Amino acid sequence: MKKWLNPSFTTWMHRANPVLKLVLVILLFFVALFTHRLDFMFYQAVMFTLLLFWQSGYAFWKVLLIVLSFGLVFISSSSTMILFGKGDEMWWEWGLIRITEESFYRGIHIGFKSVTFASEGLLFVLTTSSVDLFYALMQKVKLPPKYAYSFMASIRLLPMVWEEFLIRRNALRIRGARSLKGPRGWFAGIKMYAVPLLSQSIRRAHRVAVAMEAKAFNGNGRRSYYYPSLFTRYDPLAAAVFAAAVVLALMLSDVFPLFHIADVRYSANP
Amino acid sequence: MQESLNQGNRPGAPIPAQRRGLKLSDILVTILVSLVLGVIYHFWSSVYKLFSPLFFQADELVYGMWFIAATLVFLLIRKPGVAVLAEVAAAHVEILFGSEWGIQLVLYSVLQGLGAELVFALFRYRKFSGSVAALAGVGASVGSLIPDIYYGYVADYSTWMLIAKYSMRAVSSALIAGYLAYALAKAVEATGVTSLLRPVAAKDYAALED
Repeated sequence: MKKWLNPSFTTWMHRANPVLKLVLVILLFFVALFTHRLDFMFYQAVMFTLLLFWQSGYAFWKVLLIVLSFGLVFISSSSTMILFGKGDEMWWEWGLIRITEESFYRGIHIGFKSVTFASEGLLFVLTTSSVDLFYALMQKVKLPPKYAYSFMASIRLLPMVWEEFLIRRNALRIRGARSLKGPRGWFAGIKMYAVPLLSQSIRRAHRVAVAMEAKAFNGNGRRSYYYPSLFTRYDPLAAAVFAAAVVLALMLSDVFPLFHIADVRYSANP
Repeated sequence: MQESLNQGNRPGAPIPAQRRGLKLSDILVTILVSLVLGVIYHFWSSVYKLFSPLFFQADELVYGMWFIAATLVFLLIRKPGVAVLAEVAAAHVEILFGSEWGIQLVLYSVLQGLGAELVFALFRYRKFSGSVAALAGVGASVGSLIPDIYYGYVADYSTWMLIAKYSMRAVSSALIAGYLAYALAKAVEATGVTSLLRPVAAKDYAALED
């Protein structure tokens, strides 16, 4: 399972600095967020999905599986707008459902936007390990070490919480605990798990924090890092790849426009 | 072992004023508890999907669970900044799990956490009642509305749809992130574990002198 989840080859994206990638992906999010032209949105979705195949480092068929799931993403994010959006050019009406030309195009615009977000997010998540991200944040944007090491320690503690959950479940089963029906019973059921797990987590985190304070993990002075985080020549490369994807999408939307809709917002088309 | 943290625990000793800001122990407890809640967030999406066939947008009725980290952890730790940190840490689980929504959810979580934090700040971080938590939950849901306006063009929904969707979300936030979080925090407090986080303060000793 573990091996299956590891990327099969290393790309530029893997080698680029996590902080730079984070900044770039957030910038890309904003580009997509404020894109209201359907053609541009469509080509962004296409470009970043292609980029996922090229740069994620996973085998073609694994990426294909992920990209197929984008279909679901598309439908679930676009359906409400298609069925219930504002619009004037009526196509179909049934009870409260009103599908109009405007709401339809706005709906698929949201769908393409979601696919763009998903592939941009995956490009980051699939090529960055959490530990690398926190080491880079500490060294490149001066995140106080107490936050970064707290995150990394907590991630290590999570499996223990999972183990405790299993122990608790077995214990309750052996004791024949049964929860009652109705809201009161639900709450009792939630409490049976939540209280011991939460209180034990608090106790354990506190104990670990005492040990970490003793080892001066809360210090603010200069410190050395086990993993040095550097900017390399792969950073401008990654930036260039992202910029090229956006520029290509913009050019394609000018040269081969499919929808000819300048702005999908209702208020923009009075 | 705990003496190193709870300075001034000895009766009679001069009690230093509580330092401002979060200590490592506050941060670690916040993040671990939030990561645990983040795992619940991750699996909550299946509950969310269970609700959706009930009626259209019925899934909004359970949306409030995604704000519970902000309120629950604040009620336990009771320090400024904890609500935002908790919500971001809970969203970070999605990055850990390699979800495609990882970064997007972290960005959302900043606004949601700020929404809750703002409500607690309005009460000057001194009120820890269920109603304040409920208000903070609603604050978080307002925070989640802001990006939706640009991302999902929700302002272009039919008006009744917009009101129905977001009022259901606000109600569920008040119930789940507000009152449920409050009840859970009280239950956890009954175990006495929160005394680790909120060691006796100067005024508690002063009360003994009276």
